[in-house]
Amino acid sequence: MGKAAIQTKELGKRYGSFWALENCNISVPEGSVSALVGPNGAGKSTLLKLLVGLSSSSTGEGEVLGKAPVQHEDFLTDIGYLAQEIPLYKSFNAADHITMGQHLNKNFDKKFIVKRLKELGIPLDRPVGKLSGGQRAQVALALALAKKPKLLLLDEPVAALDPLARHDFLASLSQAVADGGLTVVMSSHLLADLERVSDHVIVLASGKTQLCDDIETVLQDHKLIVGPREHAKNLGDGISVIHETHTVKQSTLLVRLSHGAKLPNHWQQHEPNIEEIILAYMGQAKEGGAV
Amino acid sequence: MNWFVWRQHRKQFLSFGVLLALFAALLIPTGIHYWHTYQQALTNCAQHPALYKCDDLTNTLFSSQADGFIRIAEVLGTFGLPLLVGLFVGAPLVAREYEEGTNKLAWTQSVSRRKWLTTKVVWVLGFALLYGITLTILATWWSRTLNTVAHNRFVQGHFETQGLMPVAYSVFFTALGFAVGAWFRKTILAFAITFGVFVLCMASFANWVRPHYMTPVTVTAAMGPNSLDGKIPTDAWILQRNIVDKNGKVLNGDLFPEAPQQCQQIIQQAEVQGNGHGGIRVKAVPNPNGGDPIDDCLNKAGFHQIAKYQPSYRYWDFQRIEASIYLGMTALAVAAKYWLVLKRDA
Repeated sequence: MGKAAIQTKELGKRYGSFWALENCNISVPEGSVSALVGPNGAGKSTLLKLLVGLSSSSTGEGEVLGKAPVQHEDFLTDIGYLAQEIPLYKSFNAADHITMGQHLNKNFDKKFIVKRLKELGIPLDRPVGKLSGGQRAQVALALALAKKPKLLLLDEPVAALDPLARHDFLASLSQAVADGGLTVVMSSHLLADLERVSDHVIVLASGKTQLCDDIETVLQDHKLIVGPREHAKNLGDGISVIHETHTVKQSTLLVRLSHGAKLPNHWQQHEPNIEEIILAYMGQAKEGGAV
Repeated sequence: MNWFVWRQHRKQFLSFGVLLALFAALLIPTGIHYWHTYQQALTNCAQHPALYKCDDLTNTLFSSQADGFIRIAEVLGTFGLPLLVGLFVGAPLVAREYEEGTNKLAWTQSVSRRKWLTTKVVWVLGFALLYGITLTILATWWSRTLNTVAHNRFVQGHFETQGLMPVAYSVFFTALGFAVGAWFRKTILAFAITFGVFVLCMASFANWVRPHYMTPVTVTAAMGPNSLDGKIPTDAWILQRNIVDKNGKVLNGDLFPEAPQQCQQIIQQAEVQGNGHGGIRVKAVPNPNGGDPIDDCLNKAGFHQIAKYQPSYRYWDFQRIEASIYLGMTALAVAAKYWLVLKRDA
């Protein structure tokens, strides 16, 4: 794993007396595609806004591409950001947005975006207010990509799209990633979609980081185990329970194994998928902390 | 950034250009017409003093219904256009961005938020400034006939529509709309508040603030029909005129109960006549020396008249003072939006 594109330390944001994000510690490796997941109000949007410099942190610090995220030209030029509502100027057509991009960015790649929108069959001369939701999302993504960013932050970009538009959007994203040199953090509720494009996962719940790791490592470290209930309390060192369900005699546990930890052999082991693991973490936060 | 601001707001800029052109199309021909009519009347009354009176031109000129409509249109336009710029250019400027979330698009291009805001402020306040200047040149030029004939540029409705004021209003209400929009992030709310503040400012400045910019000139005169008028310049802005008793107490309403007994007797003996305007007039038999016995009696008792006025040569001082107040408020509004956009929303 290479250098970290994003590194945060105890990052927090408070609105009045409400903590939207608390003690957030994440590390996102360069070149990865990270899925940022969590229930509503978990602080996903807040975290992304902090990372792009749209808001400033109340506590802690973050380093993005080696710089503090601030509203400054030098910082912004390497970051692409797509807000949740996919904002575009409704009365502008795509060509106006492209001209805007050229005026407001140093490295804006006009050829790239014109070619891309043509390939997608999106008319350049129609006000974006009259395009479909999927087309608008594609215009917004293309605009962010035409900045030639090193880091792309996407806040639930596919939430409002129909399945086909979602598929096309993710295909566009995957292609951009394949072209290389891009780190992506994308938040979403749609776990299946994220699984398709991402190789790194960050789980936020109740304003706190629950998990931040490579998907491969996460899959290796987590096991779904089934065994007699009386043994559920003493599993041994290096094994933490993320989620548990019990019947009268049997317990089903989702556990995380530290490096080298061994399960007692009366437990039956299964490989959970990433969706099950993520849901377990979100459930754990809901129940109020680790067991 | 310049192209961007122009592209975003060109419709508003152009619409207001069209409105101003329409307004000019009303004012330029009527302004020329009035000036000619006035010059014509001056020549006429000089040549035929028996037919036309030179000192009475106000009443004979520009008194038709059409003149009334044109005058109202001129006042409404000169008042209204700066307000409309504030409402339709100032109020939605950032409020609409917040509403539609496009501020997040603009702020994540490679331009700092400060530069984005400054460019908008410069463009929009620059536009409001130019707009106010053009408007006031038109309106002030148009008003020269009325100024010459009617003399008083201090009167509410005249003061606000000439000189520096249209410029001050145009710039301030635009800055205000902008700031309130940044504060509440809602166009409709910014619109309503800007409108409310405009009404408040127009009502309160003319009646309660403007009279106090400089200490008014005070004159006193003996009782009598023309004694005070002769001491007040015809083009002055009269703030107050009263009858006071010998202790300087201002007498409001009916003078009769306050008058000394011998004066009350004279008044009671006097003939009561209609004054031809639905009121009444007390007329006593004149004294042998020709004076009015009531006035003579009151003068003896120490009653006199007092007036406070602002002389017309202070007009430009007043314009400067009020324009400075609005300039100060504009500066506050600009500072507020920098704080709101750069600090609160970060």
